[in-house]
Amino acid sequence: MSRLPEKDRRTNNPPVDYERIFHPRRIAIIGVSSEESGAGFGTAILKSITAMGYAGEMIPVNPKGGTINQLTIYKNVEDIPGEIDFAIIAVAARYVPDVLESCRKKGAAGAEIISSGFSELNTREGNELEQQVKEIAAKGIRVVGPNCFGIYCPASGLTLLPGPDLSRESGPVAFLAQSGGMSIDFAHAGKWMGIRFSKMVSFGNGADLRETDFLRYFKDDPETKVISMYVEGIRDGELFFREIKAAAAEKPVIVFKGGLSSAGARAVASHTASMGGSRVIWKSILRQVNATQVYDHLEMAQACLAFALLPPKVFANITVVGGGGAIGVAACDLAEMYGMDIPPLADSLQKRIDGYLPKPGSSATNPIDVANPYVPPSYLKEVLIAAAEDQRIDLQIIVSLLHHYKSVAQMFNKTVAEITPYKELAQAVRDAVDKTGKPVIAVLSNPKRCVDDLDIMEMVALTRKEFVDRGIPVFDELHDAIRALAHVNAYYGGKSHE
Amino acid sequence: MPITEANLMNKEKARKIIRDVYREGRQTLSEYESKQVLAAYDIPVTREILVTHQSDLEKAVQEIGFPLVMKGCTPEIAHKTEKGLVHMDIRTVREAKKVGREMMSKITGFQGGILIQEMIQGRRELVMGMTRDAQFGPCVMFGLGGIFTEILNDVAFRHAPLSKSEAFDMMQDIRGHKILEDVRGMAAANRQILADMLIKLSLIGIDISEIQEIDLNPVIICDSRPVVVDALLVLKNG
Repeated sequence: MSRLPEKDRRTNNPPVDYERIFHPRRIAIIGVSSEESGAGFGTAILKSITAMGYAGEMIPVNPKGGTINQLTIYKNVEDIPGEIDFAIIAVAARYVPDVLESCRKKGAAGAEIISSGFSELNTREGNELEQQVKEIAAKGIRVVGPNCFGIYCPASGLTLLPGPDLSRESGPVAFLAQSGGMSIDFAHAGKWMGIRFSKMVSFGNGADLRETDFLRYFKDDPETKVISMYVEGIRDGELFFREIKAAAAEKPVIVFKGGLSSAGARAVASHTASMGGSRVIWKSILRQVNATQVYDHLEMAQACLAFALLPPKVFANITVVGGGGAIGVAACDLAEMYGMDIPPLADSLQKRIDGYLPKPGSSATNPIDVANPYVPPSYLKEVLIAAAEDQRIDLQIIVSLLHHYKSVAQMFNKTVAEITPYKELAQAVRDAVDKTGKPVIAVLSNPKRCVDDLDIMEMVALTRKEFVDRGIPVFDELHDAIRALAHVNAYYGGKSHE
Repeated sequence: MPITEANLMNKEKARKIIRDVYREGRQTLSEYESKQVLAAYDIPVTREILVTHQSDLEKAVQEIGFPLVMKGCTPEIAHKTEKGLVHMDIRTVREAKKVGREMMSKITGFQGGILIQEMIQGRRELVMGMTRDAQFGPCVMFGLGGIFTEILNDVAFRHAPLSKSEAFDMMQDIRGHKILEDVRGMAAANRQILADMLIKLSLIGIDISEIQEIDLNPVIICDSRPVVVDALLVLKNG
């Protein structure tokens, strides 16, 4: 881009070379202890990045020298031969400004400062140190942190602290947050839920780069299709409004806002001010910019999953395929609550579907009641294919109660994972999606979660993996699936009337 | 919105009112002053005349016409209704004079006078406003008005400035948005005018940074046209 981003024009800070920050080839890690002298944060991050299989060069730094993982520890940043792209700083707060300045002189495009002891303490010393960090950042090394868990980038192998076991598989979802804990939790949740990340940033105190910078970057980042964020406070409301509006016009932005306490005791004279507490203002602002507001971590993850794996459109009419009348009734209630329709299928299609369903007790109307949990995947595939032929149908949800296979397993003296045709089921669903071009969501409800049922929980986890590996979104409950779908509908519905 | 000479003049008129209020050491505008600021931005307000002497009352009453409303108008007295300073549905000159005498005695010693105001008839009351949010700056509010504002808490906000589509979207955002439709023999509210009012409120928020809060409550839908019946403007700490 030829034009400098707004904040940079305002502060005269240099533009950010995000490429070298997220995909560095040479990283200095400052504050790494040698093999024999125990493990601090610097050591933990070096070992984590090594475990992730980072392909670039890591250069540990510690005044005491020594070796770690067969790498020589340099005593000073100045001693490192050649340039570095990025620095990870984990030394005591009072040493941070000098180290940061040295990294700048070494040509680093950016640094993440893991260390705490800055403005979060709200002490004079802490505030002064953070001010020094800002001043150095303004000279050309852009800073993530301090007091953060840093960057996770599956493509390069950069990982959060402590995240040696995060996925290396890249995907469409970006995440940004002040909170390190929220970041690492989401990274782990994404791994089993099937959410693949493009980039994740915990920016802590946000002394330099923060929510508005990353919103702007992710908006134009071709690797990112969905932006998610956890936010407590923002530095500049007007700027935030502009950036999130611009980002949400480009791609879905999912916001989990923490700290929505009411204006409550605020002494104000008018209704307007007293009613404009944080909760209602944030809700209104996020609606105005067509961002997706979620209220907890799980809802955020589920929304990300739906946005990441479903095509960009409104799903007005759906089918629900599952065993048991109550599931169908619940599905209809949920669909109505979230503004979707479950229309009865055309007669001819119902007839065709009926041919694949066990008798008695089944219903081919829509919701399609398959009556029992043992209908073979090959039949379910035909049901999905037939139902999709109804022109109105935009998407299908299949609810599988696989825990029932436990009793079959006991009869045949096998494990539940051996007896359950979960791979066949995942493949059948994938085939139906490929054949019809209409997406399917799988709901793997499992009421059996006692210690007696660890085999079932394992089987369900394996099932989820088979679906996720085939690009089929999986939810635990029907409600989760339909709520996530409603978020997708609200976004693309809002976009179309802009 | 194009910046025309008229716009600039209106803005200047609004600023002058605010300067005068500051000069008097006040932070709250009277209803009359508040509405003058609104009128400067072409927001539809009640026709009204401020009378400071009993001798001017009859002329003003004749000009506004019956039925009318009389309000004690002073920035120093809040809760006018509770203090017996609002009289609705006055239908004769004699009645007006009697009410005028009573009111004058209640507001003696205060700044201001008696507001002679056309009586807007309509069963639907809305609220509009502007607040300067600590994080986002000027935000405009829309919702159900009158006593329902506090009871139902059915309001929506938008960040200023407001586009036309955002103004329409905002009206649709409240739970009770059907009140704007043609219900129970009442005509549908004129959403074009409502949207225009919201947009202008957002412009006031942007133009005049001294204003901290604006509260228009009620805005009554009279047939289909919205009119601001009561208004309160609060300034920032001088």
